[in-house]
Formats: sequence, structure tokens, C-alpha cells
Amino acid sequence: MSLRLVRIDDRLIHGQVVAGWLRTIGAERIVIVDDATARDEFLREVLVLAAPQGVPVEVHDVASGAARCSELAAAPESVIVLARSPRTVLALRQAGVPIEVVDLGGMGAGPGRRRLHKTISVSPDEMRELRELEQLGTRVEIQIVADDRPIAFRSLDSGN
Amino acid sequence: MFRKFAGLGGCLTLALLLAAAMPGSVLGASGAATTATTHAITVTAWQAALIAIGYYLANSPWLFGLAFFTLYRPLVAGFFVGLILGDPAQGTLIGAAINIPYLGFISAGGNLPADAGFAGWVGTTVALASGLDATKAIPIAFGLGLLGTIIFYGRMAIDSVFAHWADARAEKADIAGVALMNWLPGQLLLFVISFVPVFLLALNGPSAVQDALNSLPLWTVNGLVIAGGILPAIGIALNMRFIFRGSAIPYFFIGYILMTATHGSLSLVVVAAIGLCLAYLHLSFVRRDAPAPAPARAEAVGRAEAEPSTGVAVSTGAAGGAGAPAEAEPKVRLTRGDLVRSWMLWTFFAHANYNYERLQGTGFAHAMTPIIKRLYTTDDEIRAALKRHLVFFNTEPNFGNVVHGTVIAMEEQRANGAAISDDAINSVKSGLMGPMAGIGDTLSQSTITPILLALGIGIAGGTASGSAVPTLSGATGNPLGAIIYIVLVSIVIVAIGYTAWMAGYARGRSFVTELLKSGTIDRVLIGAGVLGNMVLGALAASFVVVNLAPTVTIAGAQMNLQAAIIDPLFPGALALGLVVMTWWLLRRRVNPLALLAAFLVFSIIAAYPFFGPGQQNSGDYSYQACTSSLLHQYSPCGAPPVPTVVPAAAPSTQPSPASQPSASSQP
Repeated sequence: MSLRLVRIDDRLIHGQVVAGWLRTIGAERIVIVDDATARDEFLREVLVLAAPQGVPVEVHDVASGAARCSELAAAPESVIVLARSPRTVLALRQAGVPIEVVDLGGMGAGPGRRRLHKTISVSPDEMRELRELEQLGTRVEIQIVADDRPIAFRSLDSGN
Repeated sequence: MFRKFAGLGGCLTLALLLAAAMPGSVLGASGAATTATTHAITVTAWQAALIAIGYYLANSPWLFGLAFFTLYRPLVAGFFVGLILGDPAQGTLIGAAINIPYLGFISAGGNLPADAGFAGWVGTTVALASGLDATKAIPIAFGLGLLGTIIFYGRMAIDSVFAHWADARAEKADIAGVALMNWLPGQLLLFVISFVPVFLLALNGPSAVQDALNSLPLWTVNGLVIAGGILPAIGIALNMRFIFRGSAIPYFFIGYILMTATHGSLSLVVVAAIGLCLAYLHLSFVRRDAPAPAPARAEAVGRAEAEPSTGVAVSTGAAGGAGAPAEAEPKVRLTRGDLVRSWMLWTFFAHANYNYERLQGTGFAHAMTPIIKRLYTTDDEIRAALKRHLVFFNTEPNFGNVVHGTVIAMEEQRANGAAISDDAINSVKSGLMGPMAGIGDTLSQSTITPILLALGIGIAGGTASGSAVPTLSGATGNPLGAIIYIVLVSIVIVAIGYTAWMAGYARGRSFVTELLKSGTIDRVLIGAGVLGNMVLGALAASFVVVNLAPTVTIAGAQMNLQAAIIDPLFPGALALGLVVMTWWLLRRRVNPLALLAAFLVFSIIAAYPFFGPGQQNSGDYSYQACTSSLLHQYSPCGAPPVPTVVPAAAPSTQPSPASQPSASSQP
């Protein structure tokens, strides 16, 4: 079933993902791609243990994540890919991972970040990376929980 | 997106509220509009104000963080509205009915599908005061719930501003100021935007709804009752998405059959007791989907371990150690009082200033104020600590307290000179808050609350009797359902929150990994799944109602398929089929709101008298009226009346006025 959901969420696994997305789309595996998390033994362990039973979790850095995602995209399993930032997804895309849609699920606010929609804020750099993803043919959408209707990033991008 | 839902809800309710002429309905239900069958209550300004305060409290921090689990739930709201309006039993029953579509209700990460609290407080008021039965309240309240999201999202947007006010106080190292900014402005705003709309609706809504219902054709009102029997299937199916899985599935059917086979005479408490026993047996003997100590997971870890482990600034002992650093006598120590105060502040005020920008960020800083006061003395240290904890934060506010405990232990060690960087603290916070919210939401929002709610709702509306399949319309409410729910949910939630907080502090990160590895949480979830399926099945049997109206002729005999064939074989089979179908549709990713709209439209159409003249007035329960539509609101229509021998005697008595009007009016 390929990569069922590729989601940018700075909290990675949490309630919306576990109690919402996972059940709704019936995903069988979660792949987390994040350099910092892959380096932190404790966080890696927590993420792997915190997923609901029966759903294996893998934590990868970008390099090994790209290979693994390409492999899984060709497999029949239904997979959720979680990343913290647009940069990671862009790197995956540039490494040849077939990503049709990327979902912006949670990007916290902070200094220098502009709010796009509800809990989705972006920095100028991330704005550029998202536009680049669109240019590479990946649709960027905001869909915080599965029962929401997706909003096209393009419709919120005023171009500055 | 939410605007569309809110708009839909707005149209639904405003149409009902405004359809009637406004001038006539200034103060509560007007006597003239009262029909013979309903007994309306006039809502006084004082009562409306109390109800509006109740709705505000349901979203406020003042009830030890329990408002979201208690007052916010329609079952509880119904009980209190009933108390205020002088009929707690009927109020609880209406609240219970309104609550069913929200059984699968979850609000996570600043997302609110519908405002269950608004539906409960306003919906019960409107229904109780205008004398509606509980089934009609369900569709009306659901419209209100969608409308209510405007309040939530408005508050989420505006509260972001107050987070910046807190930033300014932090810059001045003003600990009390940060705390104040977390609750005062946000709560003032919340009070105004909660109180005003609810007060006005409580005062004017009942008469408006009553007038609107009186001006609707009778069959559409019947359609609302039919919808009241069908919409609960959505709430139950939404909840089934979480627990109707694997080897727990049969328990749903056991619960359902237990209820229908006993004609609804079993108390939900008994069903729950049987469920607990079965859960124990299941955990001991079945448990096919139990966690095998994860070979798949080991593989996953191993894969990642190929990466160089550069180890962020925290050394393994830093936050994980049980107790204080052993090396030297610590300079400052936190007292148990500090920890308890901090926990209380969090429990009260975690969501006091909930906003899009930081979610619980200011709440976290507020909770840290006793810790910061104890540990840090210079303005620079205080300023840095306040700013460190004012950033974006969000977790489940009970089980997620593991994060706070762990962070407090790190702060204590840092104040005593351990080399713990800002980054180390931030990475524990931001790394743990997600996974802990995942577990916490699964525990509290999609397991504990719905199971206890199902139990409470079952008790509240479970005294129906008489018919083969119990119906809501025949029930009298039982306030115990609300009270038992409040007590149980409060104990469980507070116990989880306190334990997680203290264990997180005492044992830090090792507590997290040990707890997760021990499989305790999985065991709790599996057991709860068994119990939950039983209770949910029993609830479906009581509250989902489908009654076929038309009769068919088989072998010369006219009969109602449901009454004559289906129900004797398997009581309630049609309703069970509806629930399973709804669950299947939701699994196929049909949008719940679209499904809701479809069910509502279907219910109204199914009430249209296609096959006959329909009901002449609300007291017309004749055979022709019953079989005129596709579905009937109260029960499957029985066999046709046996022709009586009375006609011979009839002409000798007074001619009935109804039988002769046209003849006598002819000149």
C-alpha cells in the first residue's frame, strides 16, 4: 500500500497519531526519520516502546531512512512516516523516495515563525523547503487529524 | 475547515431557534405554545445564568483539572441542568442521550471535533425546558455541538496573545506575573465568550425550539425521534474504532446479547461486573494479541543503533538516577511540598491559557513556578528558567506528568551544579511529550473515559422496561448514573496524574522505559478493551433503535418482518446490524460528520408517510398511522387489528362526530 501517510509533526508520535491516524488508516508500521532522535538512545527507546502493541516502530537518520522508505514504499505494508521538519522530507524526496503527499500535522510556533493554520507555523526556511517539495511534485497539505479535510498548502502560501 | 462544520451546526440550530417568531419568546417558554403532551418549564434569568456559569466551569481550570472529564460531558451537564431546572432525573436522561454520539469524542493537540460541553449544557436546557423527550434532543444537541466549536477556536486564537504577555513578565524575572498571565486574561476572555451565548440560548432557546417543532409537520418531528435512535450508532461506532479489535471483538456481542436477551432488565453495573470477570479470564487464558516481548521491536532498535551514538549533553545518570546525586551534599533540595504545589498548579491550570501558539506552554511555566522559586535566586537564573519553560508544550495532562516529574528532577540537579544544558532539558521535554501523550490519550480519552461514560449513561437511562428491545422514550432517568461516573472518573484520573508526576521525579527516565517494558500498560489496555466492549455492546442494545414500520403479506398473512420474524429469532438484530455497518463505514474512512448528516436525512425521509395517510395528530397510534412510513419512532408495528364484532352495536349509540361531518354539513 506504499507510504500511507508522510507527516511532519514536531511531536512525532502522540495522541493525534496514535489514537487518530493509526486507527483510522489502519497503519501497520511507523517509521520515524529524524537525525537528532536517531542519535538519542533514550528517546529512541521511548518512541519504540510507546507505540501501541502490534505496531513496530523504526527510528532512522535521514541517510538510512531514505533507503528504508524507498524499500517500504514498494512493499504492500501500510506505513506511516513521521518527520520533525520539512528539511527531512525534502531530503527523503531528493534521495528518490516516492512521496505523493506530505501532511503538515504539527509545527509549533516560536520566534520568527509565521502561523499558517491553527497549530501549524513555519519559518521562512521551512516555507522555502515546502515550496521546493511542491516543485518536485509532492503535494503539501495540512490535515491535523484524519477526520479533517485536507487544506492545500498552496492555498495558504501568499508568496512571501 | 471547522468553519464549515460550525456553519453546518449553526444553520441546523439557528434554523430551529429562529424559525419561530422571536418577539413572542422573550422570557422562556411561553404558555401558549405548549402542546397538550409536553410539560414545559420556564427558564428564569437566574437559572439561565447558573447554566451559563456551568458551561463556563466545564471549560475552566477551577475544578482541579477534572472539568473536562466531568462537567464537560453531556451526561454530567444534563444532571446539573436538571438540578438547576428542578428535574434532575429527566435532565440526566436527556444528558445521557445527548452524550452517546460523543462516546468516541477525543480532543488532542488543540483539535476539537465538536463541543460536547455546549451540546450538553445548552441541549439539555432546551430539551428539558421545552418538554422534549430525550430522543429528539439528540439531533438538536448535535447541531449545537458543532456551533459551540466557534467558542473553542476563538479562544485558542486569542489566547496566543496572552502567551506574549507572559513572555514580557518572564523578561522581568517576575515569577508571579508569569503565573498570573497564564490564568487571568485567558479566563476573563473565556468567561465572556462562554457566558453570553449560553445565557441567551438558555433563556430564549426552549421556546424557540418548541415553536419551531410545533410549526413543523408531524412526520418530520417523528423523523427526529427516529434519528434519536439511529445517531447513537455513530457515537458507539466511533468508540469501537479504538477497542473493537482482535480477540476482544466477541465481548461486544456478548454485551449486546446479554442486554437484549434479558429485555434490557440487566443493570449496566451487572454487565460491567461480568465484563471485569471476563477481562481477568481473558488476560489469564486468551490474550492472543498480547505483546510478545517484541522481537520486531528489537530489530527496530538494532537498526537505529547502527548510528553513531553521540549522546546529547545528558549523561545517563543525570536524570535517571533514583534520588539525589550522591557526590556532594546538595545546595538546594526540593521539598515534597514544592512537588505537590507544582503538581496542583499543573492539574488546575494546564489548560487555563490553551492556545494555538504554545498549547500548554504557559501552563507548564505556571506549574514550574514553585520549583523555580525554590531552586533559583538570581534574576538571571529565574529569567532563564521562566523562558525555558514558556515554549511550546503539549502532552496528555495526567499520564503525561511523567515529563514534568523528570524535568523537575533535571532542574534540581542543574541547580545543584550538574552539567545539564538547556538543550538537554528541552530535548527531554520535546522528546517525551509526544509519546507520553500518545499513551496518555489512549488511556484516558479513548479507554477510561468512554468506558466509565458508557457505564454512567447505561445507569442513567437503563430503567426502560416493557418492550422487547428497551427504548429511550420509555425510560425514566437515574441521576446515579451521572454521580457514579463523576466519582469514578475523578478518582482514576487524579490517581494517574499524581502517580505519574511523583514517579517521574523520583525515578526519571528509567521509570518511563521500565514502565513501558513491563507491559503493564498493554495489560491495562487489553483488560479495558474486554470490559469496554461488553459495556459498549450493552449500551448499543439500549440506545440504538431501529423499528420497521410497514407490513408485508407472506402466505396470506400480513405481518411486520421485524416483529414477526427477526426479533423473535435475534432480538435487536437490525440495530446491531446498523452499528456494525456504521463501524465498517467509519473504517472505510467515511467522514463521521458526513455520515451523521446522511443518517439524519435518512431518518427524516424514513418518517415520511409513503404508504398511507400518516399520523393525524401526535396522539394517533392507529395501525394505519404506524405502517405509513418506512421506520417507526417507537416500536415495530404489530399485526393488523383483528376486525372486531363491535360494528353491529356502534350505530345504536351516538354517531361519532368524526364519522359524519361531511354528511351532516350537506344541505
